[in-house]
Amino acid sequence: MIGRLMLHSSTKNAAHMSSGGQARLQLRTNSPLFTPMQVLFFTCMVIFSVFVVAQTAVGNTNDEAASEKPPLVRFHAWGGSAQVNGYLQWVALQVKTRFNIELQHVKLADTSDAVSRVLAEKAAGNHDNGSVDLIWINGENFAAMKKHGLLSASWVSELNNFSLTNPEENSVMTTDFGEPTLGMEAPWGKASMVFYYRSEHMKSLGLMAPKTTEQLLRFSQKAPGRFTYPVPSDYLGISFIKYAALALNKDKHSVFYQPVSDASLKTVLPPLWKYLDALHPTMWQQGDHMLRHASQLQRLVGAGELSLAFSFTASEIPSAVTRFDLPEDVRTYAMQDGSLANVHFIGLTYNSGSKAAAKTVVNFLLSPQAQAKKQEITVWGDDTVLDMTTLTNAQQALFKKEAVHPSALDKSKPTALLAEPHASWTDALRDAWYERYGARY
Amino acid sequence: MFAQFTRIMRWCLLLLLCIPVLAGLVGVIFPALGYFPAIGANSFSLDVFRTLFALDDIWHMVWLSLFTGVGSTLLAMAGAFLLLATFYQSSWLEKVQGLLSPFLVFPHAAAAIALLFVLSPSGIFARLMVLGGDDAPPAAGSSFFPYDEFGFSVLLALSLKELPFIILMALSVMSQPLIKKKLLGYVNVGASLGYSPTASFFKLVAPSIFTQIKLPILAVLVFATSNVEIPLILGSNNPSTLAVAIMHWFNHIDLSMRLLASGAAVLQVAVSGVALLLFFAVEHFLMYLGKQSLMKGRRHGADALVRGIGYGIVSLYVILISTVIYAVVMYSIAKHWPFPALLPEGVTFLHWGTALEALATPLVNSLLLGMLVSTSAMLLVLFTLESEQLKPAARHANSAFSISLFLPLLVPGVAFLYGLVWFQQLVLQNAVWFHTYIAHMVYVVPYVFLSMAVAYRKFDNRYAMVAQSLGKTPWQVFYRIKLPLMLNAILVAWALGLAISFSQYLPTLLASGGTIATITTEAVASVSGSSTRLTAVYVIIQGAMPLIGFVIAWYLPGVLMKNRGASIKEKNKRRAVLHGT
Repeated sequence: MIGRLMLHSSTKNAAHMSSGGQARLQLRTNSPLFTPMQVLFFTCMVIFSVFVVAQTAVGNTNDEAASEKPPLVRFHAWGGSAQVNGYLQWVALQVKTRFNIELQHVKLADTSDAVSRVLAEKAAGNHDNGSVDLIWINGENFAAMKKHGLLSASWVSELNNFSLTNPEENSVMTTDFGEPTLGMEAPWGKASMVFYYRSEHMKSLGLMAPKTTEQLLRFSQKAPGRFTYPVPSDYLGISFIKYAALALNKDKHSVFYQPVSDASLKTVLPPLWKYLDALHPTMWQQGDHMLRHASQLQRLVGAGELSLAFSFTASEIPSAVTRFDLPEDVRTYAMQDGSLANVHFIGLTYNSGSKAAAKTVVNFLLSPQAQAKKQEITVWGDDTVLDMTTLTNAQQALFKKEAVHPSALDKSKPTALLAEPHASWTDALRDAWYERYGARY
Repeated sequence: MFAQFTRIMRWCLLLLLCIPVLAGLVGVIFPALGYFPAIGANSFSLDVFRTLFALDDIWHMVWLSLFTGVGSTLLAMAGAFLLLATFYQSSWLEKVQGLLSPFLVFPHAAAAIALLFVLSPSGIFARLMVLGGDDAPPAAGSSFFPYDEFGFSVLLALSLKELPFIILMALSVMSQPLIKKKLLGYVNVGASLGYSPTASFFKLVAPSIFTQIKLPILAVLVFATSNVEIPLILGSNNPSTLAVAIMHWFNHIDLSMRLLASGAAVLQVAVSGVALLLFFAVEHFLMYLGKQSLMKGRRHGADALVRGIGYGIVSLYVILISTVIYAVVMYSIAKHWPFPALLPEGVTFLHWGTALEALATPLVNSLLLGMLVSTSAMLLVLFTLESEQLKPAARHANSAFSISLFLPLLVPGVAFLYGLVWFQQLVLQNAVWFHTYIAHMVYVVPYVFLSMAVAYRKFDNRYAMVAQSLGKTPWQVFYRIKLPLMLNAILVAWALGLAISFSQYLPTLLASGGTIATITTEAVASVSGSSTRLTAVYVIIQGAMPLIGFVIAWYLPGVLMKNRGASIKEKNKRRAVLHGT
């Protein structure tokens, strides 16, 4: 039918053509929108772009087969900090020039996205060419990946620089929240909890920065709405709850370092609930709405809506001041009743397609040069995991102190460190919290 | 030949939309029924739903989703029609359209953040409020705007965002020559019978526009009930809307929560369905009221009030847009900026430097993906629409077609995207660009289609008939008559497709596994970060990117048409010379 129609119309067309100039003139005025050249150009563009895309897609399927291409290592790490991102850019440049490895920092808003991805790959049977090579984790994400067998085991001891952390002496390098790492992840940095406050707010409120959990409650009662903590699904939120639980149960610390049980939970919860019940109504938004992400704490302090907050990276405070994200009157300090401290790690997935290159990258991250660079306040300021006694003098010199920023933590004062409770406590405390205060997503 | 080709294209489009959505749905329905072998759940049962409905807050969450979704859509629609009633006969209409389009192309995440900049307790308005006061710290967050437990701030933000879209859709209907003529006739009859312009609008014009833009409005409604970004940034979390909870459960560290998430995703589909039913109920009620008012025949209907509201909405947008621009630009270049001050203490380009340094690759990715997606979506849609005219499908096939076309818009994204990722892992696991392309197409094609279909179906077919009767083939009619005449609409649709592709967060992140960084994924990651100033920079970049497409759409037709006019003249001249010899 169509064919006949077209035939018909083309014969008609021919008839018109032969019938003379008048008709031809009329037809020709319908000149095309695009000239044939333009159409050709456009088509080429489309084909070319499809080709480019297909090329990338196909290229990805045989990562290691194409030996002339440098191996690609995809490092999935939280991308919310300009300092961390900047440091990883430096690392990418270094491994490219030193080892000809292409390091791609996949910036995550939430680390569990990457955990989910590896799990989805495992579910779909992709066991040797996953899209996640390295992943920055600790605590529960590690526990989850370990439980589901998503990480390579016993690879860390192969790294030359791992011995510099002195793992025989420092058991924290091989235990992640009380959970043995079994060589599934390499230590990368150390952190402890610090508090920071707006000194001008304190002046106008006529208050002192609180030094203990009890003082914190009194502060919040006198200046309602000036403090909050993130929900326990956030890393910093659950850390605050652990800190409060430890500080309010000074006489029962030993139970926190064993796997949690109903009995031990029952003994530590009552003082915690009593404390939080009193604290919540005095908090920001009357405790009705609590922040989802720890980083929003810093924003609210910067905006002036909060006067007191806390962080797990002491160095990010002065560095945020130099980047204007926090005002100059911010001061950092450690609580007298203890600071929660832990180590963060890098895991290698079980289905990584470029394990050898990934190990080279991690070994570089553990080198004195990379660790010293990371510890610089202007770069990131994350504490090194290397044991200074294992280093040569020249290597130790790399870590020499810089001038102290007025907003930075005064490290000359001794701080009492509280080790992280056993990993099972995290879930137990969080579930109990949600049960009591409602699920806040 | 051409007709056959267009029919093949139509099938391609259909498959492109249906396969990912259906595959995605299967990928959540199985876990919802308790089947998820990866974590050792191997048997089917309804336990997941039992757990889901046993949650304390579940009905509260469902209510919040319904309330914010239906409420914002109705509010946005009312606002849009009041605006149109005020301005439809005035030359201001174009200015209003120009004013609202920035909000249209602004990605949802960026819009929500921008509202935080101006409306939060330490925002610009709070600063203005205490102007001249002492240097006291800002009110300790007990304000109404962000995070209120009733969902009003989410509702408000959603309506602010959807109103321009509804206006744009209505205007694209009204500007079609045929409809324009018909509506003008209505209005003239109304005027000669003594109806005030406002009364004629609501009694005569609005009903015919509404039927034309009903499908886009339904898409807006579903989107509003299942949107993640806005309630995530502005909504309370005690509890949150259902969609936010779903995302939270899918991303939960405890991987067995995915079963619950899948169950909730299925529930979300039902919630969106209920929202549609509610909307139909309201629609019928309004139609009943409309008929009553037609019978009564009152010549005036609260004219002054309508105009007042119309001007009120416009001034609200003017104030909001200008303060947002001020706040965002200032933050992006501010040094320290203590609370009540209206000006920062100094200017720095540190954050622009940081952002631009990191943005080269994401920018190229965004552009490449956007251009590819939008252009191919445009071609598919054009051929599909053409096939509809060349050989209209049977009635059933046609309605099946429009339902599947709207499938991606009517099935909440949070419901099928996670399932889609699982499916994509089964086939071609490493073709990340391809998967991302598909995930984008699923969202871009329907909007491009919506935007084009209105123009296309109302195209004055007599041009085509005349051309055909002069012996042009279907291809020639399509290429030489329709394309040039609809160039404006085509480019606007293309720009819209580009903007939508740019703004995709969840599809990009999930389908590419994070390996394809785009401006939007970087921006959302920066929102989870701690720098307000860096976020401001990203908001500006995100807002400016879609404008590229629209600038092209506004600028190109003029240039092309001018050239075309010139080339015709040229040819005529040449012919004249030839004839002369």
